[in-house]
Amino acid sequence: MRSFDYLEPGSVEEACGLLRQHRGEARVYAGGAHLTILMKQGLYRPRVLVNIKKIAGLREIRFDAESGLVIGALVTHREIETSAVVRRHFPVLAEAEREVANIRVRNVGTVGGNLASGEPLTDLSQIFIALEGRVEIAGPGGMRAIPVEELFVDFYQTSLQEDEILTKVVLPPPPARSGVCYVRFSSSSVVDKPSVGVAVRIRLQADRDACADARVVLGCVGPVPSRARGAEALLAGKEFSQELAERAGEAASRECSPVGDLRGSEEYKRAMVRTLVRRAAAKAWEQALGAA
Amino acid sequence: MKKTIAVKVNGIERSAEVEPRTTLLELVRERFSLTGAKLGCDIQVCGACTVLLDGKAVSACSVLAVDADGGELLTIEGLAGEGGLHPLQRAFMEHGALQCGYCTPGFILTAKALLDEQPRPTDQEIRDYLAGNFCRCGCYREILQAVRSAAGR
Repeated sequence: MRSFDYLEPGSVEEACGLLRQHRGEARVYAGGAHLTILMKQGLYRPRVLVNIKKIAGLREIRFDAESGLVIGALVTHREIETSAVVRRHFPVLAEAEREVANIRVRNVGTVGGNLASGEPLTDLSQIFIALEGRVEIAGPGGMRAIPVEELFVDFYQTSLQEDEILTKVVLPPPPARSGVCYVRFSSSSVVDKPSVGVAVRIRLQADRDACADARVVLGCVGPVPSRARGAEALLAGKEFSQELAERAGEAASRECSPVGDLRGSEEYKRAMVRTLVRRAAAKAWEQALGAA
Repeated sequence: MKKTIAVKVNGIERSAEVEPRTTLLELVRERFSLTGAKLGCDIQVCGACTVLLDGKAVSACSVLAVDADGGELLTIEGLAGEGGLHPLQRAFMEHGALQCGYCTPGFILTAKALLDEQPRPTDQEIRDYLAGNFCRCGCYREILQAVRSAAGR
């Protein structure tokens, strides 16, 4: 690893100021789960590391009926996995976290780092998008909030400016008559990054006969997590059938751009998208039927 | 740029002046001569470098030493107490849960973190928790038995 200066700001404002001062040469350091590996490999060679772990107020997990679930940027994967608040309001997140990497990575890796890394082979972003999550971002000019899907630009590239810090994720309270399901598939070891990860949210109409709207979010099969809008349109307004779920899966498999790698060929990943969307849609639908 | 850090290592207060790029693994192996934690994959996958930082299993290869400043570190060398080996160490020996031993410190420390959190884990819980530690000799069955027995099952 190339040597660097190490700074420990005590506030978000101070951190943004430091990032601005060292523009282009600094990286934000939180858990380090992603960053230290890329630095050891020489892919990132920052001259300055801005450790934000000493900043108070970025570790909260709380839920209230108005804002929903607020997850601070420094909350670790393991904290989400074991949080009673998360389990109660968004069990899908706690369940997904059980399969993220391994216990050591979950102990250090943070939600903010996971999103800000722009790593496409990951889990949380597609679930957050299915849940209409927003991220809050602090910069020298103050705060801004954007939908999670607008954070991702390309492989390892986000819309964060060089002097900005992602401070929290906010998931609005789940709408009535809705269900959400995340299915990820790892094609090698269970602790490997996912080959494909699919999140589907179904919201039912008032009579619960048909789908009001759906969110079908595909992860790991393109440079950024993305919504399969064709599949979503297919599901909206329809009554459930296995055939409908199958057709949504087929549509989604054509709406992604997977790259063949060690975790499967392009064709294989498209086939997995088809299967996982079919399964996730059926489960989310079933959950929505039983939801308040 | 160097930074002085203070860490409690296996119960003893220590300090070191480190470059920020120093990893926790370099700190324990090269500065403190505690060589139980091993360098394996170097990308947080294999678990050979596992140490407990403030009670939590971490990959020492990819955590910066400066992150341990003010913290408490447990390496395999600190596990045995006055009364001899830790129950997990004894169980690993009794059940033949190691061959070459390279992965063993990581496995034992991860199992310790598990038992501290959950003293009576089910087999599935043991498997899930230890899934991120690799044993290339393939002693997984014996490791499961050892952890089960250390948990008093």
